[in-house]
Amino acid sequence: MSARTFKSGETVDFVVVGSGAAGGVVARELSHAGFTVLVLEQGPRLAPSDFEHDELKYSFLHGITNDPAANPQTFRRDASRAAVQFVGANPLVYARIVGGSSNHFTANFWRFHEIDFNERSVLGSISGTGFADWPITYAELEPYYTKVEWEVGVSGLAGASPFDPPRTKPYPMPPLPVKSSGALLERGARTLGLHPFPAPMAIVSRPFRGRPACVNCGFCMGFGCEVRAKSTALYTMIPEAEATGRCEVRPESYVFHVETDNRGRATGVRYFDRDKHEHFQKARAVVLSANGAETPRLLLNSTSARFPQGLANSSGLVGKHLMFNQGAGVHAVFEHELNEYKSVQVTRIVHDFYDSDPRRGFYGGGGIDGRIGPQPIGWALVTGSDMPRWGSDLKARLEAFPRSMVCAGHSTSLPLESNSVSLDPSLKDAWGIPAIRVTYADHPDDLAMARFLQDRSVEIMNAAGARKVWKADVTERTGGVHLLGTCRMGNDPASSVIDKYHRTHDVRNLFLCDGSSFVTSGRGQPTMTIQALAFRAADHIARFARRNEI
Amino acid sequence: MSQPSESRRSFLLSTGGILTSAWLAANASGIAAAAQHAEHAATAPTSTGFEFLSASDGADVEAISAQILPSGATPGAREARAVYFIDRALATFFADRAAAFRSGLAEFQLAFRTVHPSAASFAAASAAEQVAYLGSIDGTAFFESVRMLTILGTLSLSQYGGNYQGSGWKLMGFEDQHIFEPPFGYYDRDYAGFVPYSTKSKS
Repeated sequence: MSARTFKSGETVDFVVVGSGAAGGVVARELSHAGFTVLVLEQGPRLAPSDFEHDELKYSFLHGITNDPAANPQTFRRDASRAAVQFVGANPLVYARIVGGSSNHFTANFWRFHEIDFNERSVLGSISGTGFADWPITYAELEPYYTKVEWEVGVSGLAGASPFDPPRTKPYPMPPLPVKSSGALLERGARTLGLHPFPAPMAIVSRPFRGRPACVNCGFCMGFGCEVRAKSTALYTMIPEAEATGRCEVRPESYVFHVETDNRGRATGVRYFDRDKHEHFQKARAVVLSANGAETPRLLLNSTSARFPQGLANSSGLVGKHLMFNQGAGVHAVFEHELNEYKSVQVTRIVHDFYDSDPRRGFYGGGGIDGRIGPQPIGWALVTGSDMPRWGSDLKARLEAFPRSMVCAGHSTSLPLESNSVSLDPSLKDAWGIPAIRVTYADHPDDLAMARFLQDRSVEIMNAAGARKVWKADVTERTGGVHLLGTCRMGNDPASSVIDKYHRTHDVRNLFLCDGSSFVTSGRGQPTMTIQALAFRAADHIARFARRNEI
Repeated sequence: MSQPSESRRSFLLSTGGILTSAWLAANASGIAAAAQHAEHAATAPTSTGFEFLSASDGADVEAISAQILPSGATPGAREARAVYFIDRALATFFADRAAAFRSGLAEFQLAFRTVHPSAASFAAASAAEQVAYLGSIDGTAFFESVRMLTILGTLSLSQYGGNYQGSGWKLMGFEDQHIFEPPFGYYDRDYAGFVPYSTKSKS
């Protein structure tokens, strides 16, 4: 069946704002359940042939990401300082095309562990933070993790990690071929008594549901996949939603306001088309899956007489508790060639340091992987305290590129109410809509955990036989691509924005589902959990709709 | 699947020497898509003149770049013609940085003449003088700007003006291909396979 095209003025069952990791799943599941769904996406729709191996364009010229010229943002370290614009860059980066950031993600697809959902109960409170349990458990989410692996397509080896949480099914396909970085990570980690294992990746290792296996081109992180092997929403959920005949994906449709009536119910959304003409789309219910930056921004911009501080914001927490995931890497040089620029980023990971350990003296946990790191330009631009920056020493470091790898730690960010997405009081985007202002400072424990994993990474690389190891800088974050926590989930309307079913506490027919729903940050690879949450949310939303409870 | 074009056939033939036929057969549709991308990237124009920089400014910028990534056994910024990238970038997609670059360059030239009054320009100074002077301004905004642009110009696609004939990628040992078959490197060639842990091995 072909994709649906809704007529102007036609009311749809659901309008979904955003077509990325979460929006794609929600659209697919709701249209499969028999509802009409219109997906409105800010950016254009690209074909596989549109993606290129162009590091300058994708990493520096915003080839598929939000453009600071048209979609500017400001940043400040704390509320006492004036927010500033960065030159040629935004703090919060996401892919602004159909499929959203699932196009340019690295495809690390770790499940959260059981501890991620009840860590506050286990460890106790952390002063000055919003550290809290989730209102759901791992067991409740497990069936949906399995659904992601089988419906979206994840390669991996079940049971390989002794730290893995329980699962009900194996992966649908084996891990991707090991790379030299994986073999070396495994060698070093096993020497130290650790437990490296094959990385679960949302890249297909075998032909899967009409998509070809990965051809190892190496341009995953930050790039779109040119052969459809990466399991992006563009190649998986979106076409399957359209195939129901009940879903339309409308690109270059920029939603800037959620409308409500005098009963406080959402009636639809206002958006600009590609020519900046304004439209109103009526819907029986609205789902925002615009990402952890744009979802709170849209709510804060959707003021009305009834909701003067923004929609669904009676708690005052919309946009608060912004988290990115901290982390830091080391660059290691070996005797022989690794040629890491070939194939996927990661093939082996270590989860021995996943849980927080009070003996370390700070909160935090994380994982370590062996990887390419950036491709040539990003590799050359990385700086570290003793890393050569220019001259013959820099050139020697670049000449060692084929013999080098990155060992990277990925770790927690604590939820702080002072870290936020808010509206800049003066800056507007190219459509005249108030821009995002980011306020962010790392908690000291986040930086301590990043340094801890970096030290473990040095040990692993040395145990693997590295000839030289450089530490990259551990820096305070000024932004990120993991956009988490800004409309947190919870049972108490006073301390959360959505309930455990992703329904906003304040507006009965308004649901939020994306990275903004997170209560805590996890350990660095959020998209798997974003998609599991989306499958679960859609399941419950469909049930509510059938029971006329929306 | 559509019939492969002549250039796509040529591409597949050209890679046949390094890819095994079994792997080619198992990954045919992905390979065909990757081949199209290789065709896209095949052509790049060569820069011949400056749009933003004057000839003397271009000579100084090239001299700075050549010390940031010097020539030698492998190509450096000069062989990559990074200065043409820098010129084109500041005239076009990095135009928002152009004013700061121009004023930074003017300050750099003035300060260099103050330290080396007998030198006609930075480009005309000896290599030792250049290195010593750049060491004294390492960390300034202007130096950081030239450093970043030099790296971008050496390693970006040739269509942006630098990385002449892929010389930057030669420096880094990077192969501009869209398909690779395992093994990828020395350490995965003889990888024996993942050995599972016993459940009691977790400490």
